[in-house]
Amino acid sequence: MENIRQVTFAQPSFFKRIKGMLGVDFYRLFHTPLLYIFLVIAALIPALVSMGGEGEATGMFTNVWQIIAANNPLYVISDMGEYANMNMVFIFGGIMVSIFIGHDYKSGYVKQLFTTHAKKQDYMISKTLLGAFSMACMCVTYLIGGVLSGAFTGLPFAVNAGSLLCAIVGKMIMSLGWASLYTFINIIFRSKFGISIALCFVLGTGIPVVGAAALIGNTPALNIFLYGSSVYACLSANFVSVIVCLACSGVWAVIYNVLGTLTLNKRDVY
Amino acid sequence: MNAVEIRNLSKSFRGMYAVDNLSMTVPVGAIYGFIGENGSGKSTTEKLICGHLVPDKGEIKLFGKDFTDAGVRARVGALIESAGCFPNSSVWANLMMQALNLGLPNRAEEINRVLKIVRMEDNAALKFKSCSLGMKQRIGIAMALLGDPALLILDEPINGLDTDGMRIMREILVDITQNLGCTVLISSHILGELEKIATHYGILRQGKMIREISAREMDARAKVFVSLRTKDMQGAVKVLQKKFAGVRFEDEYIRVYDADDTEGLVRYLLANGHVVSEVKENKIGLAEYYIELMSEKEEA
Repeated sequence: MENIRQVTFAQPSFFKRIKGMLGVDFYRLFHTPLLYIFLVIAALIPALVSMGGEGEATGMFTNVWQIIAANNPLYVISDMGEYANMNMVFIFGGIMVSIFIGHDYKSGYVKQLFTTHAKKQDYMISKTLLGAFSMACMCVTYLIGGVLSGAFTGLPFAVNAGSLLCAIVGKMIMSLGWASLYTFINIIFRSKFGISIALCFVLGTGIPVVGAAALIGNTPALNIFLYGSSVYACLSANFVSVIVCLACSGVWAVIYNVLGTLTLNKRDVY
Repeated sequence: MNAVEIRNLSKSFRGMYAVDNLSMTVPVGAIYGFIGENGSGKSTTEKLICGHLVPDKGEIKLFGKDFTDAGVRARVGALIESAGCFPNSSVWANLMMQALNLGLPNRAEEINRVLKIVRMEDNAALKFKSCSLGMKQRIGIAMALLGDPALLILDEPINGLDTDGMRIMREILVDITQNLGCTVLISSHILGELEKIATHYGILRQGKMIREISAREMDARAKVFVSLRTKDMQGAVKVLQKKFAGVRFEDEYIRVYDADDTEGLVRYLLANGHVVSEVKENKIGLAEYYIELMSEKEEA
């Protein structure tokens, strides 16, 4: 009953592999409710932080755009108003990425991926891009939610439009670095996504950077960290701020992708 | 060329070897039955071939190339332990994701093709979590069949299925092995089922390959034994043991393993006062061969 047939093995290019992996991830992203839930959450956060029980301003903000970013890069947080801005997207983004990757492992789907031509680096790259895309989308819904809730509370809209644009673009660029960090955390803890979520929350809130700032002061040196650069993208941001965000996000994305690929190559898949 | 060639493969978990210096060869086109008791290293070996586990040492080649080669891996399909599907997604969506991962051009067509093979074409809209165990296993096979695999690795696809599920699965496996023309590596405890389709066997014990044999070789080497019944079974056994070394009393029959001449055997018993009421010649099957091999190793 032996069936001998001629078999050929075409070498899939890097782009074909990545296209395939991204195809899977984005198909899943758009065909499950996870992204939509988090987009709604991102849109609701500004309303929750800017409005009181009966629609009155809480007094934390004096301008609508402070819901998006702080006036200046304040690494040391002295009040809730300085903290509660678009950076919160990165906390919720971490939770979303954790659930997404955790289910890859929990369902066993990851073994289907790695049985075929997918390489470990493809997995890291794809999940990073997916996380970055999701968080960037969350930034947009946060922005919409922020403007609407700001308008509802009657806060003034006066702002330097260029700086605001730089701040928003800077924060959206930071999504890439954050997504790579969260992907790395999740491939360490895999199906135990409760631990990943907790860790993403700790790092996403910037506790280590806020702590460091409390010790060494409000210095731009903290921009080497993801949270530092995310804070740097503020309402006094300029083109340099965007470049700083791009460099920080890009460098960390490369570092975490290399570390993640090494970890995946050294460890059993499940 | 061999589809799978493994040399000195080892894998340990916390110092315990699950696969110990294992070497094996699966020829192209073979249906290779992987046999061994629980914990013998079958699943671990399959996971190593699939790249799910990192080997401690050893070499794995698939179709003459390193097993990590993306070109070869694109033509490997596997069902290891479970289907690996998202429970809240539909059967169709799960298959679509794997088709996207493989970069297949005619995805819908390909999904319909594999669903037809596993007799699930009417259940594509079902959520994976609402499928029965048998259906889940069949979906796992459908996932593995996407992209026309040259090597199919199936880990215990029949286990845990009810009679009907087993019947359907057997039909699917026969269909795959006879019509799709891919090399199949299949592990199972149900040796009777395996015997019907396998062309080669690999027998594992405690992580080691103890015997690799083709179905043809096994057939040629398979011993014929005579089973018979008499009125006084105990007495007949005593008489037979004087002349033959391989005499056993099993399943209400006396089995004589080293008798060349059945008629002579009956005459010998008659001459010693034992009338044979029933006699038949049998061939040792896979199950008996496996049990005998295991007991030999245990004694050794």
